[in-house]
Amino acid sequence: MKKSKIHPDQKYIDGIAANDSAIIRSIYKNYVPKVVFYIMNNSGDRDQAQDVVQEIMILLFNQAKANTLQLTCPFDAYFFLLCKRKWLNELKKTSNKGVTINEDFASINESALDSVEQAEQFDEKQQLFDMMFQKLGDKCQELLKLSFTIKSMEEVAEKLNVTYGYVRKKKSLCVGQLTRWIQEAKNFKSLKNN
Amino acid sequence: MNEERYLLFDQYLQGEMTVEERSNFEKQISEDQDFASEFSTFKEVLRQLKTKFGHEQEREAFIENLSAISDKHFNKEKPKVVFMRPWYFAAAASVAILFGLLFFDYNQNPSFNDFNQPGQAHFTERSNTNVNLIQAEKAFNDKKFKEAVPFFESVLKNNKTAEIQYYYGVSLLQTIEYKKAEVVFNELKSGNSVYKEKALWNLALLKLKQKDYKGCKQILQTISQEYEDYDEVQELLHALE
Repeated sequence: MKKSKIHPDQKYIDGIAANDSAIIRSIYKNYVPKVVFYIMNNSGDRDQAQDVVQEIMILLFNQAKANTLQLTCPFDAYFFLLCKRKWLNELKKTSNKGVTINEDFASINESALDSVEQAEQFDEKQQLFDMMFQKLGDKCQELLKLSFTIKSMEEVAEKLNVTYGYVRKKKSLCVGQLTRWIQEAKNFKSLKNN
Repeated sequence: MNEERYLLFDQYLQGEMTVEERSNFEKQISEDQDFASEFSTFKEVLRQLKTKFGHEQEREAFIENLSAISDKHFNKEKPKVVFMRPWYFAAAASVAILFGLLFFDYNQNPSFNDFNQPGQAHFTERSNTNVNLIQAEKAFNDKKFKEAVPFFESVLKNNKTAEIQYYYGVSLLQTIEYKKAEVVFNELKSGNSVYKEKALWNLALLKLKQKDYKGCKQILQTISQEYEDYDEVQELLHALE
């Protein structure tokens, strides 16, 4: 990833990560109207456009916080393509009602496409992770939540009124359970694709 | 579930193995593909947990802020409904009237503060290493305009761009250096940068701050409708009517 140069529009990504209202407002002002126009021209309405934009903004926040987002193309192209593909996916899910897609509106930018695919993978992984996390028992969920917010395992043990040795072991096993489920889902997916 | 394996992963990552255990572990990683793949998933899960819970409060704050901005953009601001019992209402109303009588400002002209939005500067992302510029940006974004002015001045000596000039002008305006600010904005106004219309808007604000309403209006009328914040121009014009 280091080989491509970071685009000056990285400031938008940094602004999102820092919850900078001025930056968020400028994104809505400068880049969102184009997305709304596109969605409204492709079987959507304003409310749906608002939801798509909001979901993409949260995705960008998560990606920025995980430090996996270094913009190598203009923000405009990246953001538009992400929203557009998100919308097309939504349409596919409910496509029995007949959809008209106005394709020549699309501006394809190679570098943007790469980054967009990375973002989509990131999102997919996170959704899988969230789903698996919900499958865990309450005890595991609570313990993991505490260990990743408090950080000191001694304090976690104190809070849960158990020994340090126990939380350490339990934490590894809970992470292990998640690992096994995610591993299985991955194996299943590669089986399906082959 | 292979419990031993996960305990081993944890020990390795925490650096709690002896040299021998460590090299055995690494040997297994390089030989056993299954083991290696599960170890990498284990690390990935740890990373995801860190992002999920490590930034939870920030994420909530972000989503709240985002929703507010989004609703405002899509004109969905719902008026807040406040339920009041009638006697509270009567009491509140009389207090309001009393305050109104005491403090009502009969001068209905708009004020500078209603329209003053100095914004945020972002120079340094452009891999800029100019120390003065970094300082200027920081002071500006912290709204310490008085501190920002000398930094901008030293940057402008060697590096005069419309963007830097613009933020210099805004800092001058905020520190009530009207004459200097006017010179800067007038220069931008006659140039051809993207800050042309913004400069006009700031010249109008400058007049407003000095309560020169006529001058303010005259300048506003010269701002192009293409200006990105034209809605504010209209609002101020309307308030000046």
